[in-house]
Amino acid sequence: MLNRRDLLKLSSLTAGSLLLPAGLRPAFAAGEAITIGAPLPMSGPFAANGKFGSMGTAMIVEEVGKILDRKLGYLEIDTEGKPATAVRKVQEAMERGVTMFSGGILSSEALAMGKEVAKGNGVFITTAGADEITGSECNRATFRWSVPTFGAIEQTVRPLIEQLPNAKRWYTITPQYVFGDGLLNAAKAIFKEKGIEHVGNSYHSLTEKEFSGYLTNAMAAKPDALLILNFGSQSSDTLRQAVSFGMKQRMTILLAWASGLEQFETLGPDLMEGVYFGAQYWHGIDSPFNRELVAKVQAKHKMNPNYAFASAYLTTKLLIDAAAKAGSTDGPAVVKAMEGMKYAGLTGEEEIRAADHQVIKNYYLLKGKAKSAMKDKDDYADIISFGKSFQSPEEALCKMA
Amino acid sequence: MIYLFQLVNGIGLGMLYFLLAVGLSIIFGLLHFVNFAHGAFYLLGAYLVYDMTERGVNFWAGLLLAPVVVAGLAALTEAVLLRRIYHLPHTFHILVTVGLALMVQELVIILWGPVGGNVSPPDVLGGVFMLGDFIYPQYRLFVIGLTLVLAIGLWWLLEGTRLGAVVRAGSESTDMVSLLGIDIVRVNTAVFALGAGLAGLAGALAAPIRGVEPFMGVEALGIAFVVVVIGGMGSYTGALIAGLLVGIVQSVMATLWPEGARLMIYLGMGLVILTMPRGLLGRA
Repeated sequence: MLNRRDLLKLSSLTAGSLLLPAGLRPAFAAGEAITIGAPLPMSGPFAANGKFGSMGTAMIVEEVGKILDRKLGYLEIDTEGKPATAVRKVQEAMERGVTMFSGGILSSEALAMGKEVAKGNGVFITTAGADEITGSECNRATFRWSVPTFGAIEQTVRPLIEQLPNAKRWYTITPQYVFGDGLLNAAKAIFKEKGIEHVGNSYHSLTEKEFSGYLTNAMAAKPDALLILNFGSQSSDTLRQAVSFGMKQRMTILLAWASGLEQFETLGPDLMEGVYFGAQYWHGIDSPFNRELVAKVQAKHKMNPNYAFASAYLTTKLLIDAAAKAGSTDGPAVVKAMEGMKYAGLTGEEEIRAADHQVIKNYYLLKGKAKSAMKDKDDYADIISFGKSFQSPEEALCKMA
Repeated sequence: MIYLFQLVNGIGLGMLYFLLAVGLSIIFGLLHFVNFAHGAFYLLGAYLVYDMTERGVNFWAGLLLAPVVVAGLAALTEAVLLRRIYHLPHTFHILVTVGLALMVQELVIILWGPVGGNVSPPDVLGGVFMLGDFIYPQYRLFVIGLTLVLAIGLWWLLEGTRLGAVVRAGSESTDMVSLLGIDIVRVNTAVFALGAGLAGLAGALAAPIRGVEPFMGVEALGIAFVVVVIGGMGSYTGALIAGLLVGIVQSVMATLWPEGARLMIYLGMGLVILTMPRGLLGRA
């Protein structure tokens, strides 16, 4: 008979394997065509993001069709959300002649892949969040489209403090690792500058699912505003539980790093009404490029583009445009063409800063709408404000090798 | 005051953990069967309630139906598949039930998508209970009350009824029970369905608290095993005590040492294994 020790051993082995695999799925074979690698988590907990990212890349590749007299294709690479798998499969793709990569949703996989692509003299653009990507671990081959933690806080906490002069006491809930601390430090700097009392912070682990204990601490501190600094399903869980504790009626809630439509669909208007969200992208952005994209996606897929879709579409487009401009798919040539590139992007005029390869773009403060005020099924939020805030490459600690 | 908050909150969490773990424990106690698909039944319970409320079905009807449907599906699975592998070593149980769990998880993704969703608590329980500075969601209070009633009912079922006597006797010696003319095969199916139905009910009750997403079963399975290991495998009272203990530790630690709230649960489990290898109330 099985004893408890064996059971434990087996359970630790098997619980992990429930989150497992799938392979490298070539959408087009690499050959004479120019192939763009799309390393995305196509399986595992982040598979939904991967799926939409892949759709975005597929759409722009199909749309452009051909550059430099060669057919365009893409290679869907399932990273499984794991850095080691991502690196191995990117290596394989590079051996098959792929030089340009757009993908990497999780920071850990993006950091690992960026280094690998740099070693192989390729070019990589990502939407992952960690500051290090264009900060202390920046490199020649890696570009990042999304706004880092500093800008996300500057464009959400600061305007909200200005809108709510009576909210003098803020409480924060933070995941304990570099990303969370990046957001928290940026928020603390603004609190200090504006004379806001930071009445408390709860750190939690990255695997936490139950936030009622932390919310109880938050309520006991009687804040005017609750600042939620985790992301993905953890931020959804925190918000859901905060609303169930009646906190929405007692204080203003800001979720500084929301994933946009993907997340709003899981939350729904009942939870979102009156809550503030920070977002990299929203399909309601009033820019020519975005309006065009929304119309195209609605026509082709009968849906509005979400963050994963739109950002993959744009970042792949940047690689294609740069290769066309450089007249080559050679990594260093494409990198050179991308540095300093200015273009009409999803969030309006965007620019790729040459010194640290960070795209300078807007970040948005949204406010959740009541169900009765929604004009269509995706009209979850209004844009309250937006703007560009970035540390200098030196402040971000980027020393380009 | 804050510790009173955390204590009540911990009891609320603990009762849900108990509900989740007791099914696993009973199944192991009687069938000596390691059921890694237990989390999948929890997942199904949650998604059934989600699906029904999305279709406009009353939450209460969903709460009643979901565990019944899950129990039915579990009985079918037991009769068609699992019954055939009871006599095989535990590694086969794990192989088959992990496969089953993966199938259910993928099926959930195919049917409802990979993104997940939200389940609103019923309107009558949507508010908060307030007593001075003490604020607690009404729905969570309801969950504490309901699980308490269920715990008493289950205790009576296992200790005070003929079925309970058979189950307890069966966990000691199935051969002896068979010799007494009791159809142990049917009892096995009933117990398996009961255990899975309890997991389904835990999922249905947790849906308005946690929302639903396709990977929630894996997390639930982890917690259920922790509770069962601490409480002792096959023990009803052990599952209750351990469930409450885990819930309260998790909640109180959120005030004392938030970063370590989750770590403490596993540390606690480690301590129990070192000092009481059979768990708090486990048998040899």
